[in-house]
Amino acid sequence: MIFGANGDLTKRKLLPALYRLAYDRRLSAGFAVVGISRTPMTDEAFREKMLEAVKEFSEDTTFDADVWKAFAAGLFYVAGDIGDQALYQNLAGRLAEIETLRHTGGNVMFYLSTQPSQYARAAQGLGGAGLGKGSGWRRLVVEKPFGHDLASARELSDRLHESFDESEVYRIDHYLGKETVQNILAFRFGNGIFEPLWNRRYVNHVQITGAESIGVEGRGAYYQEAGALDDMIQNHLLQVMATIAMEPSATFRAPSVRDERSKLLRSIRPMTPDEVRQNTVAGQYGPASIGGKDVPGFRQETGVGPHSQTNTFAAVTLFVDNWRWAGVPFYIRTGKRLAKRVTEIAIQFNPAPLHIFDHDGAGSAPNLLIVRIQPEEGISLKFLSKRPGSGMTLRPVSMDFNYGSSFGERSPSAYETLLLDAIVGDATLYTRQDMVEASWGVVEPIQNVWRESPADFPNYAAGTWGPSASDAMLARHGHVWRKP
Amino acid sequence: MGTTVAPEQILKELSELWVDSGKQGQAEGGTGVLRACSMTLLVMAEASEDTQSLGETIAALMPEHPARAILVRLSGAGDRSLTARVYSQCWMPFGQRRQICCEQVEIAVSDAALADLRSVVLPLTVPDLPMIVWCRSTRLLEMAAFWLIADMARKVVLDSASAPDAAGILQRAREVVERGVMLGDLSWTLMTRWREMLAQVFENQQNAARLSCVSSVGVEWGGSRYIPALYLGAWIRDSLAAVDVNPALHLSRAADEDFLRVRLTGEGIAAVLERQDDRMVVTLNGQSQCTNLPQPTDYLLMREELGIVRHDPVFEKTLASAAQLAHPIDK
Repeated sequence: MIFGANGDLTKRKLLPALYRLAYDRRLSAGFAVVGISRTPMTDEAFREKMLEAVKEFSEDTTFDADVWKAFAAGLFYVAGDIGDQALYQNLAGRLAEIETLRHTGGNVMFYLSTQPSQYARAAQGLGGAGLGKGSGWRRLVVEKPFGHDLASARELSDRLHESFDESEVYRIDHYLGKETVQNILAFRFGNGIFEPLWNRRYVNHVQITGAESIGVEGRGAYYQEAGALDDMIQNHLLQVMATIAMEPSATFRAPSVRDERSKLLRSIRPMTPDEVRQNTVAGQYGPASIGGKDVPGFRQETGVGPHSQTNTFAAVTLFVDNWRWAGVPFYIRTGKRLAKRVTEIAIQFNPAPLHIFDHDGAGSAPNLLIVRIQPEEGISLKFLSKRPGSGMTLRPVSMDFNYGSSFGERSPSAYETLLLDAIVGDATLYTRQDMVEASWGVVEPIQNVWRESPADFPNYAAGTWGPSASDAMLARHGHVWRKP
Repeated sequence: MGTTVAPEQILKELSELWVDSGKQGQAEGGTGVLRACSMTLLVMAEASEDTQSLGETIAALMPEHPARAILVRLSGAGDRSLTARVYSQCWMPFGQRRQICCEQVEIAVSDAALADLRSVVLPLTVPDLPMIVWCRSTRLLEMAAFWLIADMARKVVLDSASAPDAAGILQRAREVVERGVMLGDLSWTLMTRWREMLAQVFENQQNAARLSCVSSVGVEWGGSRYIPALYLGAWIRDSLAAVDVNPALHLSRAADEDFLRVRLTGEGIAAVLERQDDRMVVTLNGQSQCTNLPQPTDYLLMREELGIVRHDPVFEKTLASAAQLAHPIDK
C-alpha cells in the first residue's frame, strides 16, 4: 500500500522498480499494489497513469506488454485523506477484498511516500483501524527525513511505535540500496588484503563527496526548510561513512550489520561550538554562467526567499573515537550546483615513509582508493608507476574496476533492491531508530551553531567545488579536497 | 545570445562512448577496449590552425601519454558561443588483441565566451591526474579568462617563438613562473639536444680543463630562432658563471631562415655547434663530427615536455636570464 501514490517518487522510482521486479519474476503471482492519494481516481485510471510512469521512467528495462498486463491486474487505487479515519476503514475493506482476490496471505507492506509531517498520522490511522496487525506480516516503510533534529526524530519513532514494532519499521535510505555501497561490504569483508590496511596506521584521511550539478529544480520551497546538511549528510552520507568505517560484523545478518553501523555512528565525536566553527563550512550558491548558460543563485530560485540562510553546501570534518580510526579525519561534503554530479568515497593512504625517487614531491603522490557510487559505479586504486624510458620518473596511474563493464549485466536500481529486501523481510540496508538518533547526535550541534550565526551567503558560484572556506578547512589539517 | 555547452551532457556522452566502444570491440570478436589515461591534456589553439595536423599531433602523443584530450578551438571575435563534440582515439598495440582508447573532447569557443570555459573544463578534468595546458596561442597569455583555466593546471606549456614580441613574451613567461606556475616552453625544449651536445664536449677532461679559457660566446640566429638563441646564450652564460667563468656573450642575427649556431672561443679552444639539415655538426678545434638531429616537430617537443611534470629549475633560471637579454626585434 503506497501512501502518496500520485506523487513524484511513486511515478519515478517505486512503480518502475516494482515493474522491474515483476519483469524479473521476483514478485509472487498474487502481488498487489494499492495506491492511496487524495485525488479521486478509478483503478483503471491509476493503472493508466502508472503505465505512463513505467514507460517514461524505467531505465534499462524493455517494456513488455504481457508482463505489464499481469502486473497491472494487481494495481488498485483508494482515494482519501490521510487525516481522515474513514480512509483507513475503507482501506481495511479493500485489503480484505484483495486478500481474497489475490491470495496475499495477509502480508502487507505500507509505504509512506508522503509529506514527512503525515507519517505519524498515517501510522496512527493504520493502527487505529487495526491494520498494524493481521494474519500475515505487516511492515511500514518510511522515507527520509526522519525528523528534523534529535527530539523530533525520537518523537516520530515514538508515534510510529504506537502502531508498529521497531522490527516492523523500515526507514529507507536509497543510498544504501546502491550496488556500490553494498559492494563496500563485499570489498572490505570478502577480501583478505584490504582489511589489514583499513585503520589509522595506514589510512591518512577519508573524503566523502556527494555532489550534484543541478540546483533545487523547482523544489526551492522544500529545500529551503531542509538544506544540504539535513538533506544529505544526516542520512545518506553518514550511512555511507558508517559502511566504510564500521567494524566487521560477525555475520551478514541484519541485526549484526546494523549493530556495527550503529556503533560506528555513535563513535563519531560530537562537536563543541568551537569545533563546529573550525570543522564545518556552510555554503550557498550564487548565480553564475555554466558553459555559457546563465544559472540563478539559490536566492533567485522559485520559492526561495531573497535573504534565505539555507545551506546548499555543507562540509564537515568528523573524527571517530575508536581504536581503529582515532585521529583520522573523515571529510564529508555535499552540495547543489557543484562542478559535476558525483558521489565518491576516497580513502587516502599514508605516503611511503621515505621518498627515494625524487626530491620535489612529484613522485610521491599518495595511494588512493576510490569507491565511485554514482554516476559510474566502480572502484579505482591509484598508485605510482615508473614511466617507461630512461630515468626513474614516477607517474600516478589508476587501476579501475567498472561495475557495468566488468559484469556486463544490468545493476538493479536502489529501489528495486530495497523494496525486495523489505518484501522478504531483510532490514540489513534499512536504517534503525538508534542509527537515526546517532546521526542526529552528530548533526544537531552543527545545526545549532549554524542557526545562531547567520552566514554571508552566497559564498560560492554555481559550477564550482564550493566555498573557499571549505578548502581552508582541509588546509588546517594539511589536506586538500580532491576534484572528483 | 550564442550557443552554450552543458558539461553534464559531455560527461554523459563520454560515458556512453565507452559503453559503445566496449560493445563494438566485443562484437568484433575482441576483448573490448582498454581505457587509458595518465592526464588531462587541454590544448588551446586558434581555429585557423590546421585541424588535421593538430589532431594528428595529439593522436601521436596518446600512446606514450594517454590522456583525456580537450581541444579548445578559439574562434576569435563574435557572439558569446560554445559548442562541443566528443569522440575517442583508439589504437591496437603491436602484438595485442585489445584496442587502447583515449577520450577526446573538442570545444569551440569565441573570445567572448572564454570566461565560460572554466566551468566546462573543471568537471571534465580527470580526477587525481595532472592537467597540462598546451597553449598554442600566445595572445591567451594576456587574457584573464585564460589564467582562470591555467590555474587549474599542473603545468602550462607554450611556444614563445610563436609570439610576435620576443622580449614581451619572455618577460610575461618569467612573471608567470615567479607566480609559481609550472611552465614549459617548446623553444626551450628545442634546445635540449643542443645542451646535451655542448655538455658532451666538456665531458672530455682535456676540454673541461680549458673551460676557464672560454672568453667569448657567440650565438647566431636566423628566422624564428631568436628566442631559442636567447635561451641557449643565457644557459651557456649561466652555466659558465656557475664555475666562475664569465665570457662575453654576443647574439647576432644571420640572414638564413631558422639558422642557429653557437661558438665558444678562447685560448686553446674553439667549439662550434650548428645544424646542417637533419644533423648537428660539432666542430672542436677544427675537428668535426656530426650526429642525428631530426627537424623539431610539435609532436617531438611536446612528447618531451609531457614527460617533465615537475618544476625545471634550470629552465626557470635560464628564462629569467633570457628575459633580461631580450630586446624587441623586427620579425
